[in-house]
Formats: sequence, structure tokens, C-alpha cells
Amino acid sequence: MTSTSASEVLLSVKDIKIFFELEHYHHRGVRDVFVSAITHPFDYLMKQPELLNVIDGISFDITRGMRLGIIGTNGSGKTTLCRSLAGMIKPQAGTISSTNEVRAIFDTGTGVVPELTGRENAYLLARLFFPGMRDLKPIVEEAISFSELGHFIDIPFMQYSKGMQSRLLLSLISSVPSEILILDEVLDGADVFFQKKLAERMRSFIQSAGASIFVSHSIDQIRQVCTQVMVLHKGKIHFMGAIGPGWNEYLKLQNT
Amino acid sequence: MTFEQYWVQITELTLASIKARYRRTFAGFIWVLLNPLLQFGVQSLVFKQFLKLSVNNYYLFLLGGLLPWIFIVSTLSMGTPVFIAHGHLLRSFKINPFVILASQILDNFINFIASVILILTPFYLFSDQPLVNILALPVAILPLLLCTAAMTFILATLNVFYRDINFVIGFVMSILFFLTPVFYPRAYVPEHFQWIIDVNPFVYLIEPFRCLFVLSSWTDFFTWCLKGFGVSLMMVLLSMYVWKKRRNDFYFRI
Repeated sequence: MTSTSASEVLLSVKDIKIFFELEHYHHRGVRDVFVSAITHPFDYLMKQPELLNVIDGISFDITRGMRLGIIGTNGSGKTTLCRSLAGMIKPQAGTISSTNEVRAIFDTGTGVVPELTGRENAYLLARLFFPGMRDLKPIVEEAISFSELGHFIDIPFMQYSKGMQSRLLLSLISSVPSEILILDEVLDGADVFFQKKLAERMRSFIQSAGASIFVSHSIDQIRQVCTQVMVLHKGKIHFMGAIGPGWNEYLKLQNT
Repeated sequence: MTFEQYWVQITELTLASIKARYRRTFAGFIWVLLNPLLQFGVQSLVFKQFLKLSVNNYYLFLLGGLLPWIFIVSTLSMGTPVFIAHGHLLRSFKINPFVILASQILDNFINFIASVILILTPFYLFSDQPLVNILALPVAILPLLLCTAAMTFILATLNVFYRDINFVIGFVMSILFFLTPVFYPRAYVPEHFQWIIDVNPFVYLIEPFRCLFVLSSWTDFFTWCLKGFGVSLMMVLLSMYVWKKRRNDFYFRI
């Protein structure tokens, strides 16, 4: 233990469970419900909905200064876990306690109103990302210059390439040092130069305050951004610790 | 988040979508007024001149019912697909779904207020109605706004699970137009059919508003307002129940 502030818990997850009724997955309209109710009335009334456990009892703490990478196979629950940390999904069991605002981004191909210019979208997004901020101008202008979009900033957002969209959104969400920042597989659209620049920025922000959670399938990106990893498998924590051993554990999963 | 922060988000989102909508149009805002104006023109021609409905000051009577009706229909039909249309945005980062829906409702509400000021007010000024009625307008509009918002929230949420709702809403509303006393007075409905009017929630949203533009007593007005608030409260509670039940599956289905 180095100091008291280094081990301060920013976010605490205790035994959370998230499940979904599998039946809801099938794309059903009123007609299908009606047909199944008529043709198999007994099944329809008596059948218990099948449950799909997406997150199956997970506990961990995020401490100040932590840069956690999350890896895992597709469908292991990475995004669902991040969504619950961000407060978008309420776990059916367990608790998530956080004293701070959690900022999260899951996709960078989104303009709020794509018909408007990049700059107009930037102001709108800043309003959605940082609701408490009074004066947005310095933040947004800094983010715009960080994104290096130049004169492209004043053309409609919908004409942007995937990489340009991702530059703008990532510049914005990282423009204010946040206590907890979650990036879920969002670096892939941006070029390597910008990825490096952003990793640099996140490191400096996290050194001053906060923590970050970073989901990726790329070991290079994880090494660039994170200090430790969590390997998720079938809704459970399979491994948590140093990056090297974590990656090995992850690669072993392929054979199980 | 505080209420004020939500409000800032809602208004800025509304302004942005209005800006985007009219940026590439020629007539812009005129289109918003053209729809109620044309509907009003055609209906007053057919019902007053062709069918000869004998209602005192029919133009004002019709506008008093038609403008709230157009607000209800346009909000429900534009609001129902809102979560699907913005699904990508909702999945990309944490934004309260209600902010997106509220901004769609506010957008339509602005159009409604504009049509009241620009279309209804001139008829009102040239009528013999007491001008003081206009002061009670906010009281009459509140249940209309509240209940329409709650209904839209319910339909938009359910539409995420049953996409059929978006297809059904259009023709259901065009059928309900005839079952709701919009262009005819309630008194025209025979005694044994009155229950159709009584169970129609839209009646309780339109009547308080129309009361102010046709001859009626203040007791009538406040009774209708009270009923309107009652229906609104029920809808708001129902919408909260639907959201609580569905909120988790929501993100997996948009």
C-alpha cells in the first residue's frame, strides 16, 4: 500500500446479476403472440420464460488511478457489465455503488442530429455528456482542436468517415477529466496516430484524478491504455490482474 | 441530474432538430401551419356548408377541437417510433431516453402553440367571447400536454418490443377521429351511445381547451379540467409502471 488516496474506492460492484427473459429475444409482433396463444394455449400460459444470465455474480472494486482493461469472447457480457456500471441497466441482484458520475461511450458513429455540422453536434454532445457544465465553449473548442478535424468541422456530421466521427466523439468525451471513464470498443475506427494521442491524454487525466475502464480485443490497445485486465467469461470474472497473464488466460479460453 | 439540467438538454435538442429540419427547406415553418390550416379549411367547408351542422360560431368550435386533436395525433405518431429511430444514439452513451422523447414532444408542442396563436387567436378576437378566457389557457393546456406525453411514452416504449404499434397507430387515430367529438358537439351523440364518448380519454383532453372558446360556464370548465387532470394522472402512473417493467430489456431491443 503506497498511500491512502491510491487505494480509494471510486466504484464498488457487489455480486451483481443481470438476466433477460430469452423469449423476449425472438423478434415477435402482436401477430406471433396471438398465433402462439391460439395454437398452443397450454404452453403459452404455463411455460416459464427461459432466463439468460448475461452477468452471473460479479464483484470488484475500481480504485483511484486504476486503468482496467476488460477482455473476453463475444457474448461474455463485457458491454452489459459496462452498461450497468454507467447506470443504463439496473442489475436484478447485487449493488453498484459509486460516488461519482460515470461517463461511458459504446459507439462513436453517432451524431445526435447527423444533418447538423460537426461543430453543432459537438456542442450538443457536450451538453449531453456534461450536463452540469455552465460554459461549454472552452471545452468544445479544445476538443475540436484536439480532434484535428480542421475545416471538416463545419460540414454535416453525416458526411464524416467513421474515423472522423470517432475522432470527434472521443475528443469530446475525454475533454473533461472524469472520475470514471468507460470506453467500450471504440478505438477501432480511429487511426493509430489518434489512438496514441488519445491514450496519452487518458493517461494524463487519470494520473490527476479518476479511473478508466477500457474494453478491447486488441492487446496492443490494452497495453497502451491499461495497467491491469479483467477476463470475462460467461458472465463471470475468469481472471483479474496483470496484463500478461490475463492475456494468456484469455487465449486459453479458446480451447475450453 | 437536476431538473434544470434535463430541461437544458431537452430544449437544446429540440432547437437542434428544428434547425436541422428547416435548413434545407424552402418554406420552412410555413409547412407547420399549412397542415392545420388546410384541415380546418376543408372540414369547415364540408361540415358547415355541405352537411350544415348547426353549431354556434362553428369556426371557433371546430378550431377549439381540431388544434388539440392535431397536436395529439402528430405527437403520438411522431413520438412512437422515436426510440427505434434514435436506437443507435441511446446505445452509444448514457442519455436518458426521456430526454429524446420529451424533445420530440416539445417540438410538436411549439407547433401547437404557434397554430393557436396564428390561426385560432384571430377568430377568437373577432368573436364575442370574453377575452379574459385566454388567461385560463395554461390550465386547459396542461392536462393535454401531460397526458399526451405519458401516452407517447407508453407507446414509444411498447413499440420497442412490438414494432406493430407504429403501423397501427396511424389508422387507429384516423378511426378515433370520428369517435371523438372534434368536429361535432358531444350533444349530437344519442344517449345510448354516450358511453363511447365517456371512455374516450381524448375527450377529457380536448374539452377543457374548447370550453374556453365556446359559450360555457366556469363550473363546466373546471369540471372538465379536473377530469382532464384525473386522466393525465392515470396515464402518468401507467407510463411509470411500463417503464419500470421494461427498462432493462429496453437496451437489448432498440
